[in-house]
Amino acid sequence: MKYYEFGDKTGRYVGRTEKYDVYASTLAGIGKDEDDHEERTPGEIYFNYGPSAGGLRESVNFSILTPGEAIRDVIINSGFKRRNIRITGDSISDVMLKVERINGFHSASHSIAYALAVEDALNVDNSDLNDARIVEIELERIRSNIDVIKGLCESAGFAVPEKQLLLLREEVARIISTAFGHRYYFSVNGINSVDGDFSRITLNSVEKQFRSLYDGLLSSKIFLDRIQENGIVSDPLSTGPAARAANFRYDARLDSGSLNYGKYSTVMESSGDTFSRFLVRAEEILESINIIESYDIKKIYRKNRMELNGSGEGTARIESPAGDLFYYVKINEGRIMDIQMSSPSYLNMRNFRYALKNGNIFTDFFFVWESFGIWISELEVRFQ
Amino acid sequence: MIYYYIPLITVFLAALVSIRYRTAGYIITAIASGLFFLLTFRIFDYITYFYLIAAIVWIITSVFSISYSKRYGGWLAPLFILTIAGMMTILYANNFLVFITGWEIMSIPAYLTVAINKKNDIEAYVFMLFSEISTVLIITAAVLSYYYTATLNFTGLSNDIVLLIFAIGAMSKMGLTPFMISEWLPIAHGSAPANSSAIFSATMTLMGVYGILKIALLSPVSIDIGVLFIIIGVISVLFGALYAYISENMKSLGGFSTIENNGVLMAAIGLFIAVSDNVLKEFILISIAIFAMAHSIAKTGLFMSIGHTGVEYFSAVKEERDPVNQIGKFFAVSSLSGLFPSLGGLGTWMVLESFFMGAYLYGPLGIASIIGGSLIAMGEGFATAAMLKIFYFTDNSRKSRGKNLENYTILGTGITLVFLFAVSFLIVGKSYISGIPTVLVFNGFMIESRLGISDFGLITPLYIVVLLGVFTLIVFSVFGRPKTRTTVSWNGGIEQGEHYNSFTYSNNIRLILKRILRTKNTDVSKVETVDIFWMIMINIARAYRNFAKFTAYKIMNSSISAYIIYMIAAFILVIIIVSLV
Repeated sequence: MKYYEFGDKTGRYVGRTEKYDVYASTLAGIGKDEDDHEERTPGEIYFNYGPSAGGLRESVNFSILTPGEAIRDVIINSGFKRRNIRITGDSISDVMLKVERINGFHSASHSIAYALAVEDALNVDNSDLNDARIVEIELERIRSNIDVIKGLCESAGFAVPEKQLLLLREEVARIISTAFGHRYYFSVNGINSVDGDFSRITLNSVEKQFRSLYDGLLSSKIFLDRIQENGIVSDPLSTGPAARAANFRYDARLDSGSLNYGKYSTVMESSGDTFSRFLVRAEEILESINIIESYDIKKIYRKNRMELNGSGEGTARIESPAGDLFYYVKINEGRIMDIQMSSPSYLNMRNFRYALKNGNIFTDFFFVWESFGIWISELEVRFQ
Repeated sequence: MIYYYIPLITVFLAALVSIRYRTAGYIITAIASGLFFLLTFRIFDYITYFYLIAAIVWIITSVFSISYSKRYGGWLAPLFILTIAGMMTILYANNFLVFITGWEIMSIPAYLTVAINKKNDIEAYVFMLFSEISTVLIITAAVLSYYYTATLNFTGLSNDIVLLIFAIGAMSKMGLTPFMISEWLPIAHGSAPANSSAIFSATMTLMGVYGILKIALLSPVSIDIGVLFIIIGVISVLFGALYAYISENMKSLGGFSTIENNGVLMAAIGLFIAVSDNVLKEFILISIAIFAMAHSIAKTGLFMSIGHTGVEYFSAVKEERDPVNQIGKFFAVSSLSGLFPSLGGLGTWMVLESFFMGAYLYGPLGIASIIGGSLIAMGEGFATAAMLKIFYFTDNSRKSRGKNLENYTILGTGITLVFLFAVSFLIVGKSYISGIPTVLVFNGFMIESRLGISDFGLITPLYIVVLLGVFTLIVFSVFGRPKTRTTVSWNGGIEQGEHYNSFTYSNNIRLILKRILRTKNTDVSKVETVDIFWMIMINIARAYRNFAKFTAYKIMNSSISAYIIYMIAAFILVIIIVSLV
């Protein structure tokens, strides 16, 4: 393990796997969580929302503690979408097929993080693929962030920009599909391998369209009124755009050695509200376009099939669109014996709760929920 | 002539009979109330409409009490009937002495009812304090009246001071601003058995309205006092409705609703006092009578519905329904919300028409009138929300023989409200009745509001009721009985959890009006509202205590020299005042 070791906590908290609490450079045993849910007082009820309800893309249940209108707390049950994925004893390449399907929308992030962890375990030199993988992830970030902003527009009842963003998201998906043969990067990434024609990535139109929509949203007082000063959270235990929106300079692109971004500036905001998360997501779209254009890769990568029979333990941490995505693998003669994954949705879900109970009312719910870009699919995975 | 007083004598006898024979006492009271109406009511003499109102409420509550009071001790019936006897005395009064006597006969059994029911002195003392304030002020008004007219009889007055003092006294009894700040009325009315709460809210406060109106009829036009009453009334409407909406004690909700209704009446009386146009003045007078009638009867139904639940708080009500009870309750709360086809709808329409016509009087009165009317309309909106709360969260149909009689009494109240709405054109003065035969609204069936000779608005109550009925029957006969299918409501894919309760239902207003209600989370995170009126009162009390402390330590501090200075200063002050007078 080049970047991690087992031990006490070191640096910032990144997330949790089934077995470990993950910090910036160590894996520690899981600490005890205290139940800090608010106690119910007379007159209050638990208002149920989900798991199968309009406005929810994935199955998740919210029991909202409310005295009426105001949200005092929320108990979140995401277990309806729990998936037990058998990997023990599978070959490295078979596991890749399962990993890239954990969260299709962030498939590049998951498959690259897994590949990096395996390469770390088997001491594979992957430096040639560093830039190509960054371009993949940044392209995925553009699509994911457009999707989050689309969700905010939908919550505000802004049907026109919502549909325009959906169209833009589709255009990015088609660019991915053209370059990589699959809009969700399936079968694109492998161990020390990438399969795609990077010369076909052109983002001029995307940037132009997005800037126009972004300017339009920023000049809409109605839209800004809905997202400013709601869902405020500023907690050191946070990750991704939500952390950066609350002035925490947390970014795996800066502090993880798994991928080398070189000189890179992080987008930061300080209010910690939905508006700040919106700004960070939007600015990161433009920043990602800059990153992709700065690499200016015009090369065609083809799949490289390697014989992988080694043993070892490896880790990788990358900045997925929603925050730190961590993988740990233990390999024995080319077979995966253990895999641990910490998704950003773990910390984002925790902070969503704190943001929601921070003086919000029912109508704020969707803005706060959409602004975190949480994926239940990657939160409720158990490897067996 | 003695036969004219038979109802009064009978009701006092009923109080005596009820000590031993409770049911007989109630029946005699109901009969006496009916007789009272027959002997005193005169069509188009609008002040006698109060007799009709009182008689209807007493009959309904007496019948309701036959079953309801079984859950209470033998003390309730005589006190209940004696309170009615006091009110009847007030209505018979043609001079201040009899009026004040009736006022006290009405009030003292009421304190006892609250005291015995709550087994706690506080509510009864609060009730007594504010009632006695009203008595003192009414006595003062009587003395002033004697000073100006040399008689204690109700007779024409040359100035408005008697009206002002009397009205302030009556306002204390009605729980209006500024006496609303103590919230004595919801506290007291919420602490009595439901049948007593009903007569406290429906007719005891009505005695205040009656008294003010009686004196107003004897007083000259006064724009200043009229506008003052409009302001007092409007503030009472807004805050009464607001606090009713957020109240969790059902009877307190009824009490606040009474303040709101009394506020409307007070504002309308204010307009009546300020207006000199005779046509508009008469219309306002009819509006007051109709609104008071609607309020009193519907409030009786409301308190009976609340009493029927057998509990005080919404949170303790069981969720079962009885259609008989619900129909009656529906029309009672519709009336209190100012909606058709109930008498409250007509009353509210007439009051609002009065205010909006008042806008054409221009000047300060015109401005007060249009603003007052708008704010009353807003208060009625709040009231509708409060009434929906009562309607939805008071369902309880624990079945028993007695309870069934209660349900039918509540139904009777609702039907009475619709019936009176339908035939209201019969009790409104002829000059406001017309028709439009070209559209089949025949002469005699349409009520018109008028300012001078010109029309303003119109309504056809009988047509509304008949058309509603006819269309319902047509739909029923064409499509038959509605096909209904009961399904379990979708709850996100999991089993049904909890439902909205009364507290959560009204919490939106706690949040929207948090500047007024001072909504906050306490240390235990419970959402609470601070009553801004209590806050003001407490602050006044604190300021007074500080002043008293200052006086005690700095002036009245057992220092002989300080005392001498104080005495000299007081002496000089008295001399100055006497010389000025």
